[in-house]
Amino acid sequence: MAGSGKAHMRPEGDVVLEVNDLVVEFKLGKNQIVKAVSGVSFDLIRGETLAVVGESGCGKSTLGKAILQLPKPTGGSVNFLSKELTTMGKKELRDMRPAMQMIFQDPVSSLDPRLPVSEVIAEPLRVWNRGNEVEISAKIDELLLAANLDPAVVRDRRSYEFSGGQCQRISIARSLALDPTMIICDEPVSALDVSVQAQILNLLQDMKDRYGLTLIFISHDLAVVKAVSTRVMVMYLGKVCEVAPPEELYQNTKHHYTKALVGSVPIPDPDRPISGNLIQGEPPSPLNPPSGCRFRTRCPQASDLCAQEEPQLREVSLGHFVACHHPVGE
Amino acid sequence: MPDNSLSSTETAEPVVKTKKPRKTIGFYLASAWISLVMFLALFGWVLPTPQWDEASYDNLGVAPFHPSHILGTTNDGYDMMASIVNGAKISIIVSLVAVLIGGGIGSFIGITAAYFRGKYDFAVTMIFNIMLSIPNLVLSLALLSVLAYSDENNPASMTRRVVVLIISLIIVIIPILGRIARGSALQWGSREFVLASKSMGSKNFFIIRKHILPNVAPAILAIGFLAVGSVIIVEGSLALLGIGIPGGASWGSMLANGRGNIEYSPHEVYLPALCIAFTVISFNWFGDYVRVKLDKRESKI
Amino acid sequence: MNILRQLLRRLIPMFSIVVIATFLLSLLMRLLPGDPAAIMIPNGSIDQQIEIAKETGLDRGLFGYYWKWFSDVFTGDFGKYYLNGGYRDLGGVIADTLPVTLMLIIYAQIVALTIAIPLGLASAYKEGKRFDRITSTVMFTTVSFPSFALALIFSLIFAVNLGWVDPIGYVSPSENLGEHLKLMILPVMSLAFGLASGYTRLLRTDVIATLKDDYVTMAASKGISNRRVLWRHVFRPSSTTLLTSAALNMGGLIGGTIVIETIFVIPGIGYEIFYSIGARQVVAMQTLIALISIGYVFFNTMVDLLTQITDPRTRERRA
Ligand SMILES: Nc1ncnc2c1ncn2[C@@H]1O[C@H](COP(=O)(O)OP(=O)(O)OP(=O)(O)O)[C@@H](O)[C@H]1O
Ligand code: SF4
Ligand SMILES: [Mg+2]
Repeated sequence: MAGSGKAHMRPEGDVVLEVNDLVVEFKLGKNQIVKAVSGVSFDLIRGETLAVVGESGCGKSTLGKAILQLPKPTGGSVNFLSKELTTMGKKELRDMRPAMQMIFQDPVSSLDPRLPVSEVIAEPLRVWNRGNEVEISAKIDELLLAANLDPAVVRDRRSYEFSGGQCQRISIARSLALDPTMIICDEPVSALDVSVQAQILNLLQDMKDRYGLTLIFISHDLAVVKAVSTRVMVMYLGKVCEVAPPEELYQNTKHHYTKALVGSVPIPDPDRPISGNLIQGEPPSPLNPPSGCRFRTRCPQASDLCAQEEPQLREVSLGHFVACHHPVGE
Repeated sequence: MPDNSLSSTETAEPVVKTKKPRKTIGFYLASAWISLVMFLALFGWVLPTPQWDEASYDNLGVAPFHPSHILGTTNDGYDMMASIVNGAKISIIVSLVAVLIGGGIGSFIGITAAYFRGKYDFAVTMIFNIMLSIPNLVLSLALLSVLAYSDENNPASMTRRVVVLIISLIIVIIPILGRIARGSALQWGSREFVLASKSMGSKNFFIIRKHILPNVAPAILAIGFLAVGSVIIVEGSLALLGIGIPGGASWGSMLANGRGNIEYSPHEVYLPALCIAFTVISFNWFGDYVRVKLDKRESKI
Repeated sequence: MNILRQLLRRLIPMFSIVVIATFLLSLLMRLLPGDPAAIMIPNGSIDQQIEIAKETGLDRGLFGYYWKWFSDVFTGDFGKYYLNGGYRDLGGVIADTLPVTLMLIIYAQIVALTIAIPLGLASAYKEGKRFDRITSTVMFTTVSFPSFALALIFSLIFAVNLGWVDPIGYVSPSENLGEHLKLMILPVMSLAFGLASGYTRLLRTDVIATLKDDYVTMAASKGISNRRVLWRHVFRPSSTTLLTSAALNMGGLIGGTIVIETIFVIPGIGYEIFYSIGARQVVAMQTLIALISIGYVFFNTMVDLLTQITDPRTRERRA
């Protein structure tokens, strides 16, 4: 990418979330700044699943947390259910929290090892005073069952007694407790065995249908995303490269980074070990990203223009947007 | 330890099984000794001994196993058993109160510093470092020699000296446990369950109470036991230097008084010395037991 | 260049810690109920008290006093002990007593390491066997045995009951080396016991870890003798940890010697502190305590720096 721009934003539709020019920077020491997210814009329509894809360290988790204002982003706006979150007071923001939930990246670390599962799931209910003990207990059972866990077996156990997949189910059950509108799933399956991945993906799909959720699905793996998403946003080093529906993205890849990602997905033969990334070298440091297109240091097509001018997102075909000066096949 | 295999919809990945830390003989001896000392401190008054501060001038410096003085008397005729019991009371009160209050304050400061970070954390870390840069004993020595200052004209009362001693020890304990609490809270605070709790709208002190404190507590407890030991040592050292609790009212003070009589009534020295040593060692055993248990738990998580 | 930067990075906080700590000591001193000058010479005339207040800077405000104290100490003027109308120069006292304390500490370190190294190696080599279990238990028990309790019990046994040595006293090594060493045995043993236990445990843990390393197994499989493997491939890498810990203990030992010197009446810095408290020489006491703290901070900073320079692992992690 990578570039900026808002060509892909949709003017109509039931917009749940609208993110504009979001910037997240971390101060490191005196004069070093990590530019984790640099001007990302996108919108999310009710009922859709937006996949955010990119290699490790490109700012996916940071983006997800910044939407929840954890911590507040350095710049840009986040409009959720027609309310601006970035300028909101503490109290108002707290009132918005039940509607937006997140499943965090590390399934084991997101559960307090001291608490039994029933307490883990009861926590959001207690924080918001949702019902008395009997009602809470019934709700816990309902959520556990929904997540395909046997309440009788798991209720009194602690998270460290469970496998990653089971922890992930508990996290999902917890994220559903407050009947949210939107859930941000941060790499919900990447820490899991391949056999368990499909189960969790199915579970998420079920939940989405059952509770009418809108999802942001973060992943570094295009193959995982393909089955679950309605729209894919490819990120590189804190910027957006390409936005398109998954089929279109695969068949008509426009961005050189996406192409490399597609190339590294081992779809044809699932038994083949995952091949090395086709992209050469390490990504540049977010402390000092390249000028112009941030991908130019690893792009086979890079030109002088790419170094001077940052490419903007533009529509190449219906619903397919790319930020590149020399898109693939043009 | 419950069986880890769970009948669920998916196969459980292998979970590391760990043994409970072995409760060694040392652990049982330590428990027995601490119980005995606690019992003496609480219920010692039921024993048929003379008052600890009333001398019997007929029996000066008698050896242990004397018919009316089971542990003998000091060279000045004070009953050793009564003094040991009273010393247990004072030593245990002083060390437990100092560690509980100092540990409480230190943990609060350390945990909040780790949780809120920023300038507050910077200041706290700086102050802890300064306090830790002065050796324990030297710090309490300086505090005590000023706060409990007394001279011939206005002698400090016993209560005042004990209170001042406790305050000095509290000040010594705060940075020790505070730093441990901060370090541990920093580790736990970066776990995603804290972020998860924030994202569901929990308030800061709720998160600290519900998620951080229970996880940090074992580390504080382990060091807290060691701290009780060090406090007893510092109390004894201060008494030997002549600025702790006076008049043979604590074990350290008994040592200080008995030191000059070592040739005539050696039990005046070895009895309190062994009491101090056993108590310190026992608390260290406890601390170590908690620490090992903690390490095992950590490696499991 | 890099090392210079590291040095500065450590020296600046060290210096600020020293300044703040000594300032707090001054503050504490000024909190004393009553006039410190009158406390120091209770029998002196008002004029004498005024003069002493002037000499020590006690007549100035808190900051003025601190500045005077700091600049004096910095330029080598450590102040005085005021005694029965006369005085002793504290600088001279420190010059006399500091070497004694250092000697005591160094003896204790040497004895502790001499006990700990063979015991730790043997214990690690026989990990889990009876020898190891017994050593470990004994060491764990003695590591927390307070040195002053040990000192008193040693005096009782070896001086009072057996009469092998005098219970108290000190002779300088230049005067009579044999007598000097004999008198130092009990204080040194009292300090060394706990240290030795700590070192043994440390070395044992470290050596057990090293023994599991691949290259040790390889060296052993190449048929190199056990003793040689243990010495060359195991002890050498572990010795860094041991020496670091020994160096870090130096600061703490300065505090620990106060009581030991008092019990055995050894004229070291610790004994001087005890003496200055008894003689109500509050300014001298402040100076001595400040010196000990400065030494402690300085030592810890230097050790930290040295490990950083010598241990490539920490160096890389920083870079
Ligand atoms: N609190 C922080 N302080 C400083 N830098 C941070 C912080 N959090 C994230 N970063 C940096 O921001 C960049 C983006 O991190 P982020 O965790 O968002 O990446 P990611 O895309 O989620 O990667 P992964 O796939 O590994 O989870 C990284 O370079 C990371 O080192
Ligand atoms: S062609 Fe230019 S703009 Fe397009 S990805 Fe490569 S470097 Fe970026
Ligand atoms: Mg991430």
